[in-house]
Order: sequence, then structure tokens, then C-alpha cells
Amino acid sequence: MKKILISAAVGILLSGVSLFGAENKSVEKVYQKECGSCHMAYQPQFLPQRSWNKMMKNLDNHFEVDASLDANDNKMILAYLTSNAGDVKASNKHFSKMSNSIASSETPLRISQTPYFLKEHRGIPKRLIEQKEVKSLANCSACHTSATQGNYSERAIKIPNYGRWED
Amino acid sequence: MKKVLTVLALGATLGFGAPIDGYMQSLANEAKKADSSFKGFDAARGKQIFTSEHIGKKGQNISCASCHTNDLKQSGKNTFTAKVIDPLSPKVNKERLVDAKNVEKWLKRNFNDVYKREGTAVEKGDVLTYIKNY
Ligand code: HEC
Ligand code: HEC
Ligand code: HEC
Repeated sequence: MKKILISAAVGILLSGVSLFGAENKSVEKVYQKECGSCHMAYQPQFLPQRSWNKMMKNLDNHFEVDASLDANDNKMILAYLTSNAGDVKASNKHFSKMSNSIASSETPLRISQTPYFLKEHRGIPKRLIEQKEVKSLANCSACHTSATQGNYSERAIKIPNYGRWED
Repeated sequence: MKKVLTVLALGATLGFGAPIDGYMQSLANEAKKADSSFKGFDAARGKQIFTSEHIGKKGQNISCASCHTNDLKQSGKNTFTAKVIDPLSPKVNKERLVDAKNVEKWLKRNFNDVYKREGTAVEKGDVLTYIKNY
């Protein structure tokens, strides 16, 4: 009897855990779909909570395009972004360097204009950025071949019409 | 029995089966309300809406085709971000025009980007008719 109770309890615990996991996954999926349709879905760790709060209030005019969402999806995505933001969850060295480089008085909307980002990308010739395969530094995955998996290591950099980057 | 028949009849008028017909029907109702002489959607007008250039939200010349190309059976490319866009034609891409909420969301955004305003019911219906039959 005791055994049954224990295994039932374990069962409930386990299913609780996996249900919770499934829910997180589905929010992430909504994020990937909704914020990954015009550009890659940027990792939320690249910007602090205050940046996401500001951005999600103004999706009608998102970098001069309309990226508006219905109220429910907006709320769900904002919760996902703020719970994974760089100032609460910088999970690797790139994310924490990015996060630490942003002054607390600043609320940047562009990852590509944060101090750490600017420093890392200073040496790249303009023509390699402005070429049609890249267009702008916001197009991370054009050069960082594993950007969508959150891998920005130098080994995974390959710039179109140029190749590997050796510095 | 009577109930079953009414449900069947309703199903027939709303045209269940074809994915966004419910949404198209509500656009048609709205169009009729705004103008009682409305006769139905027109793919030729839709083509004009899709291919003509306008000064868009960003202040530069843009058309729907700037991102989706003039050949809806081909992949397009987002003119602002360079991201590839899968073909719009439901004849080659079975994920297109199946989710009314998604279609409504994109029409609102894309009309704003190209026309600096939301499309009217007639314009949305026309352009969807064009895309559907491309
Ligand atoms: C309708 C298209 C569209 C959608 C949908 C969209 N964006 Fe964007 N986003 C853009 C454009 C255009 C830019 C500017 C790109 C450029 O400058 O090259 C941009 C830029 C950004 C940037 C700044 C990139 C940089 O320079 O560092 C962030 C961050 C961002 N978007 C987050 C989001 C989030 C979060 C969502 C989901 C809520 C989202 N975007 C949905 C079009 C979109
Ligand atoms: C034009 C190509 C290009 C684009 C676009 C680009 N990067 Fe980079 N990135 C580079 C190069 C090249 C380096 C290495 C610079 C060096 O070490 O001299 C780099 C370095 C980095 C680093 C540091 C890596 C390390 O190991 O030190 C990070 C993090 C990074 N990029 C993130 C991003 C993000 C996020 C985006 C998009 C918002 C982006 N990059 C867009 C080319 C690019
Ligand atoms: C700036 C680029 C851009 C322009 C201009 C643009 N679109 Fe889009 N459109 C997109 C993107 C990005 C998507 C969503 C990406 C995807 O689903 O592959 C999309 C999706 C759609 C969809 C959703 C189809 C579905 O069922 O998935 C329709 C319909 C559509 N666009 C019609 C139009 C019309 C009509 C215009 C002109 C008024 C237009 N687009 C102009 C970028 C654009």
C-alpha cells in the first residue's frame, strides 16, 4: 500500500514537472513563431527587462514596421522575455558581458547598439555588413551560423562572400 | 433531425472545409454593409493591390511584391531584414491561408507597412482572392 502511494506521489510529481516543462516549451514556441517571422528570434538574454517592457509596448511601430500582436500573445511573450532577460538570467559569458556593458540609465532597444556588441563588431568592414545577404548587423544569423541555437562562438562565424573570421 | 439539417445548412453557407472561408464571408458581410452595391471579391483588383507601389510606413516606395515577389509560387525575401519568406500561394505551400487569426494579423501589419493604413474589407477580400487563386 505504502509503495503504491509513494509511486502515485512520484507519478504526480513527475507529471507535474513534465507538464510545467511542456508549458514552458509552448510559450517558447509562440515566441519563436511570433518574434522569429521577420528576423531570427533573438535570445531574450541579450537585453534587460526594461528594454523588453519598452519594446512590447510599441509593437505597432517596431523599428518603423508594424509588428502588432493581440493582447493575449503580447502578454505571454512579454512574460517569457522578462523572465529570461539578461539582467535576471545571463546564462553564458556572451550574455553576461552584453548585460554588464549596458548602463543602468540606458534602455536600449537594439542589441546591435549595446557597448559590448559595438566593441565586438568594430572591425568588420562596412561593405560586408551592407551587402544584400546581410543588410544590417541585426541579421545575426547571416554571419553567426548557429545564432538561432544561441551559439556565438568565433568558430561558428562565417561572413557571406568573405568566409571565416580570424582576428 | 431538424437540428441536424439546420447545422448542415449552416455548414454549407459558411463553406466549411475551405480554411479561411469563414473569415472571407465576414469580410463580404462587412463590405455589403458598407456598400449595398457590393457584388463580390475580385482577383484582378487584388492583383492591383498586391503589385502596385506606394510610399509606405518607412517613407519609401514599397509594394506587397517587394517582400513576396510578383510570383507567389516562389519564395520571397523580407526587404527590411533579408529573411527568406516561404511562398504565399496555397497551391504550393499548404500552410498558407489556413489560420484566419494569422491571416488577419499579417494583413493588418502588411497593409500598414505598404499603405500606411489598414485595408478595407473589400481590399482584404480582393487580395486574398488573388492569393488564393494564384
Ligand atoms: C513585422 C516584422 C517584425 C516582427 C513580427 C518582429 N520584428 Fe523585430 N525587427 C523588425 C525589423 C524590420 C527590425 C529592424 C531590423 C534592422 O535594422 O535590420 C527589427 C529589430 C528588432 C530588434 C533589434 C535588433 C538589433 O538591431 O539589435 C529586436 C531586439 C527585435 N526586433 C525584437 C523583436 C521581438 C521581441 C519581436 C516579437 C514581439 C519582434 N522583434 C517581431 C521586424 C519585426
Ligand atoms: C556581418 C557579420 C556579423 C553580424 C551580422 C553579426 N555578427 Fe556578431 N560577430 C561577427 C564577427 C566577425 C565577430 C568576431 C569579432 C572579433 O572577434 O573580432 C562577432 C562577434 C560576436 C560576439 C562575441 C563572440 C566572442 O566569442 O567573443 C557576439 C556575442 C556576437 N557577435 C553576437 C552577435 C549578435 C547577437 C548579432 C545580431 C544582433 C551579431 N553578432 C551580428 C560578425 C557578425
Ligand atoms: C516587409 C515585408 C512584407 C511586405 C511588404 C508584405 N508582407 Fe506579407 N508577410 C511578410 C512576412 C514576414 C509574413 C509572415 C512570414 C511567413 O509566414 O512566412 C507575411 C505574411 C503574409 C500573409 C499570411 C499568409 C499565411 O496564411 O501565412 C499574407 C496573407 C500576406 N503576407 C499578404 C501581404 C499583402 C497583401 C501585402 C501588401 C499589402 C504584404 N503581404 C506585404 C512580409 C511582408
